[in-house]
Amino acid sequence: MSKKRGLKFYLSIYRKILTQDLKSKMSYRADFVISTFGMIMTNLAGFVTFIVLFHNFPTINGWDINHMLFLYGFSLLALTPVQCFFDNNWNLRAMVYSGDFIKYCFRPVNVFFYFMSEVFDVKGLGQLAFGLGTLIYAWNKIGIPVTFITIAQAVLFLLTASLFMIAIMNVAAATCFWIQGSGYVMVIMFRFKDFAKYPASIFNEIFKAIFTFIIPIAFVAYYPSLVLLQPDNVPLLSWLSPLIGLVFFFLSYAFWMLGVRKYDFTGS
Amino acid sequence: MTLRKYIALVRAGIMESLHFRLGTAVTLFANLIYLVLVYFLWKAVYDSSGVDVVNGMTFTDTMIYLILATALFNFLEMFIVWDMSRSIQSGGIILDLLKPMQYRSYKFWSYSGSHVSQFVLAFIPTFIVVMIVTKGAIPIGLNLVRFMVSVILALVINFSIEMLVATLCLYTESTWGINIVKETIVLVLSGASIPLAFFPESIRNIISWLPFRAIYDIPLQVLLNKGGSDTLEGLAKMWGMQLGWCVILGLAGVLFWNHAVKKITVNGG
Repeated sequence: MSKKRGLKFYLSIYRKILTQDLKSKMSYRADFVISTFGMIMTNLAGFVTFIVLFHNFPTINGWDINHMLFLYGFSLLALTPVQCFFDNNWNLRAMVYSGDFIKYCFRPVNVFFYFMSEVFDVKGLGQLAFGLGTLIYAWNKIGIPVTFITIAQAVLFLLTASLFMIAIMNVAAATCFWIQGSGYVMVIMFRFKDFAKYPASIFNEIFKAIFTFIIPIAFVAYYPSLVLLQPDNVPLLSWLSPLIGLVFFFLSYAFWMLGVRKYDFTGS
Repeated sequence: MTLRKYIALVRAGIMESLHFRLGTAVTLFANLIYLVLVYFLWKAVYDSSGVDVVNGMTFTDTMIYLILATALFNFLEMFIVWDMSRSIQSGGIILDLLKPMQYRSYKFWSYSGSHVSQFVLAFIPTFIVVMIVTKGAIPIGLNLVRFMVSVILALVINFSIEMLVATLCLYTESTWGINIVKETIVLVLSGASIPLAFFPESIRNIISWLPFRAIYDIPLQVLLNKGGSDTLEGLAKMWGMQLGWCVILGLAGVLFWNHAVKKITVNGG
């Protein structure tokens, strides 16, 4: 990457590659409809779980149903980018294994960018819609004021919160450059996203520390949403979460690219 | 003579699944992670509620129920939907259809092998750990035998649902979507993600008639001697329901499959 290219160049390339991907997806229209429906169903199942839980227990650890729904909606939105834009990570292992990955190394664009741009996962849009609906509903019920500042905060913290899951999945996928049969790492890591929709305060100190600093799943929804949920008493980690998100994303990117460089040397 | 071919299939299945020991280990680890979440969540739930017994379930009851439900889930997990769509794409399904055996029973018996090894390697160790940790919260006696009968019925029901969904995929060409819908419905309505005892009365009445309950909820109730399964009448009701669904879903599956198999179009192979 000696030559730096502008954002505009990358955006125009992204649009072109994306159009190709969507065209091929559209030839399986039934699959698209059913997959989106399936995505909404899984989110609906999470929703039902909350309703049933709160039917029996009015509050959990000081959180009532509206606050929990806020957290749930927030986590769904923060998990949308990883679903939509970084889904190709799931194919990385097979491509590295078969040797097809080499084609990405020969293009005069950033390898990471090119690889990720090849797949846009449409089902993520169902999740986006559901998450947005849940968030707006809970926002209303709790009575968070709708001002320029709160909206801006929500957008900023959502965007940066999404970086954490992307970082986790990048690292999980990149392990395949070193370990054979590393598909399990991704499956396990992906499972951690279930933790995002619960307040990290339910865990004991040890697990709370693990989910904050080692596998930073508490940053996907819990810390950033505190900025909006308890504006008078925001922990320092919440304010820092955008910065930490950037750091985690950059580290995962560096790790991913390190794998690519190692792959280059192996050759085939 | 006929028995021999089934035994051969089961044996092949056991050997095949033993080959993927790493997969089993990883599944166990993933479950452990999941159980950490379940533990802390329900601990918080019970702590905040201020009472020990909710809907007839203590914290320990809930944990036992959910842990064993997860273990059952892994034990019962099948990938028929994926297998079938892959073998249709590759054309390999032709070889299975040509075998001197019904496709349905061929699938069932070859999966039985992995069920056996999963049961021994994953379910029994989990069960023993839970038994030791909870110090006798699980009754030991005839209920274990009754549980085994229930599990086998649950396995047949699960297989039938799986086959129905796989057949449906022949028409829709959407494997991921259909599979995730099925999985979600089964997990929520079977009690695997929240014990059915926590559902509101009116919804529970509907759910209790659906087949999904027969997969996880009934075997677990039988194991824990709950829901009247320790009386003859209660047990008969539960087994009757499981048997009924076995027959209904089995028949529906056979009819649907016979209709669909004429439609399969395989490109190449």
